[in-house]
Amino acid sequence: MQYDDKSRVEKAKKRAVVKQTEARNRVELFRHLPQYEHGTQLPDLETKFFELDPMHPAVYKVGLQYLSGDIRGGNARCIAMFQAFKEAIKDYSTPPEKTLIRDLTARISSYVSFLIECRPLSISMGNAIKFLKNRIAKLPLALSESEAKSTLMLDIDRFINEKIILSEKVIVKHAVTKIRDGDVLLTYGASSVVEMILLHAHELGKHFHVVVVDSRPKLEGQLLLRRLVRKGLSCTYTHVNAVSCIMQDVTRVFLGASSVLSNGTVYSRVGTACVAMVAHAFHVPVLVCCEAYKFHERVQLDSICFNELGNPDAISKVQGRKEINYLDGLVNQENLQLLNLIYDATPSDYVSMIITDYGMIPPTSVPVIVREYRRDHLWS
Amino acid sequence: MPDTQALVNDFLNKLKKRKIEGSQATAKQTAELLRSVISQTRMPYTNQAAALIHSVKAVGERLIAANPVELAVGNVVRRVLHIVREEDLSLTTAAMAGLNLSAESDDEDDTDRDNHPALSAAAIAAASRSTLRPPSLQTLLEDVPDSAAVPHTSSSGGDSEGKSKSADKSSRSRKLKHDVIEAVNELIQDISTCHELIAEQAVEHIHQNEVILTLGSSRTVLEFLCAAKEKKRSFRVFVAEGAPRYQGHLLAKELVTRGLQTTLITDSAVFAMISRVNMVIVGAHAVMANGGVIAPVGLNMVALAAQKHAVPFVVLAGSHKLCPLYPHHPEVLLNELRSPSELLDFGEFSDCLDFGSGIGAPLLHVVNPTFDYVPPKLRRA
Repeated sequence: MQYDDKSRVEKAKKRAVVKQTEARNRVELFRHLPQYEHGTQLPDLETKFFELDPMHPAVYKVGLQYLSGDIRGGNARCIAMFQAFKEAIKDYSTPPEKTLIRDLTARISSYVSFLIECRPLSISMGNAIKFLKNRIAKLPLALSESEAKSTLMLDIDRFINEKIILSEKVIVKHAVTKIRDGDVLLTYGASSVVEMILLHAHELGKHFHVVVVDSRPKLEGQLLLRRLVRKGLSCTYTHVNAVSCIMQDVTRVFLGASSVLSNGTVYSRVGTACVAMVAHAFHVPVLVCCEAYKFHERVQLDSICFNELGNPDAISKVQGRKEINYLDGLVNQENLQLLNLIYDATPSDYVSMIITDYGMIPPTSVPVIVREYRRDHLWS
Repeated sequence: MPDTQALVNDFLNKLKKRKIEGSQATAKQTAELLRSVISQTRMPYTNQAAALIHSVKAVGERLIAANPVELAVGNVVRRVLHIVREEDLSLTTAAMAGLNLSAESDDEDDTDRDNHPALSAAAIAAASRSTLRPPSLQTLLEDVPDSAAVPHTSSSGGDSEGKSKSADKSSRSRKLKHDVIEAVNELIQDISTCHELIAEQAVEHIHQNEVILTLGSSRTVLEFLCAAKEKKRSFRVFVAEGAPRYQGHLLAKELVTRGLQTTLITDSAVFAMISRVNMVIVGAHAVMANGGVIAPVGLNMVALAAQKHAVPFVVLAGSHKLCPLYPHHPEVLLNELRSPSELLDFGEFSDCLDFGSGIGAPLLHVVNPTFDYVPPKLRRA
């Protein structure tokens, strides 16, 4: 949706369940993206939990979890959303005088717009919703309601199993062949797939060292670091600014992705582009691990035309260091804008290889996969 | 001498404990310290320049060893030595010109009188030879006989003609000191005003409606941008935070209070935003002889991104930051690692940082470098 078009924004506000207050001091360049004041809606929504009518409580719960940031990461969000939809479908009953297909599709659409208000959809979630709507539309009319519901729930289970869980296992299997003894592996942020790869390689007995690069404001690398050290891997932790100092000792870079676009651009957490660029400058191979259901036929040239804006207060406050409070009291000045980007787009020339559940492919093969396999497997 | 020793020790302590922040402050204090060392040095009759150089070198070596990463100290010491040599050269050429005239005027066969100007000329020539030439194989080999010769002539000169010559010499030595101290004062003045001189050029580089990116905080950059603002250029600034010191917050605050449109971004967002930026302006810690720049950590990444998007990358540095050294392995030797507590909270991670368990080798390393090396080819100006 175009958020810089006033009339559309007004219309959307009237239909909205979540009352978002727009942030002041919006960065000009990002007027086409929604930017809301964070932290204001949660108490309000929690009180509304029992005024259920249009919204199923499971979906509501997931929406609140997105809003507060409890669930992070493309796979986790997708799985949570689908579990909630399964609950909703289980409790669904067709109202009289309406067909299952149309009504259920409308219901799912309303759930989806609620989730969008809580937090904009990731590309993987968008693909998953397309799949679900497709399955609903393809339901044979002869099926009874309970049969239709159970078919749908089975489909959802199959999707989660095949596209997410099993494909993670396949990716791990491919990727550990690329890790040799004595390697120094660098990873950025906290990607669930990369974590599984590292742990699996460690279980196989390979000796390697991990460099975890982290960045503000989410500092997700610390969670990954803790889990790795607990399992006994030797790690180095550093900040994204120091990446050019540390890159000379690194042999491979493993990155996760939120999505891979049709021109080979990797759309993932902000800062990935910097890491990939520095790795390329030091001639270190960059391997991106991404499940195939996250591929998208869109093309994006830079990080500005499509992105997500996070909480600007997360930039002015530094967690854990109270002495960095230079910007207290200045936040409302009109000259100061705080920009908290969530994603960025890494150009395909920085990526050496993409590891998917269909194998290890170069970035130029992504449109092939989108075209060929998507049609056969996903929609049939 | 004793109170200069105290001053020197005090300064050394401050350098070792990293109490002095910023190359400009360090350079200024080094210059002031060397000035007091020079004024306190006792000057022998001949070769005063060598004595000055010797004392400055002795102090300078100790200063450089205290904080090898702060290259401004070494730069200032070298410049002071250069000043001493230059002043000595100009004085001896003036004296030689003067003496040649007097030697010609009384070239009677008065051996006595002839002897002394000749002696003094020889002494001056010897002095000039030893101080003017930079260390080379020849001077190293000649040095031993030279220093033996010079006191010989000075002793013979000293007990013969004596008074007039010694008066002459001491006046010359006082003049040398005086000139050197004047030149060091000029150096201190230069260091203090470097920001204004750089800021004057701001208007030529910043045009209307530009978008400028910077990282961390540098006083030179701040003055530069404010000078352009005063000349009524309207432009916007993106400031990257510069974790883990977060100096970008300071710079953003300064810019906002002076009325500039500022946007604060995280360092990871630099690549995302750089396509919309017209110019990158940063300050440097030091500039090496090959043109490479020692800059706060994170700037190599910014420079690479700027090169990829063909955005000009401009480095602002005062003259006290120009260093004649070549960096051979800059990431290792010219870098300093700061405390890991800036990255990880010790309390939260105490279970991971427990070295006593298991193998004994630490499982977790934290790297927190202070500086980054930007090679010359990434830098436009």
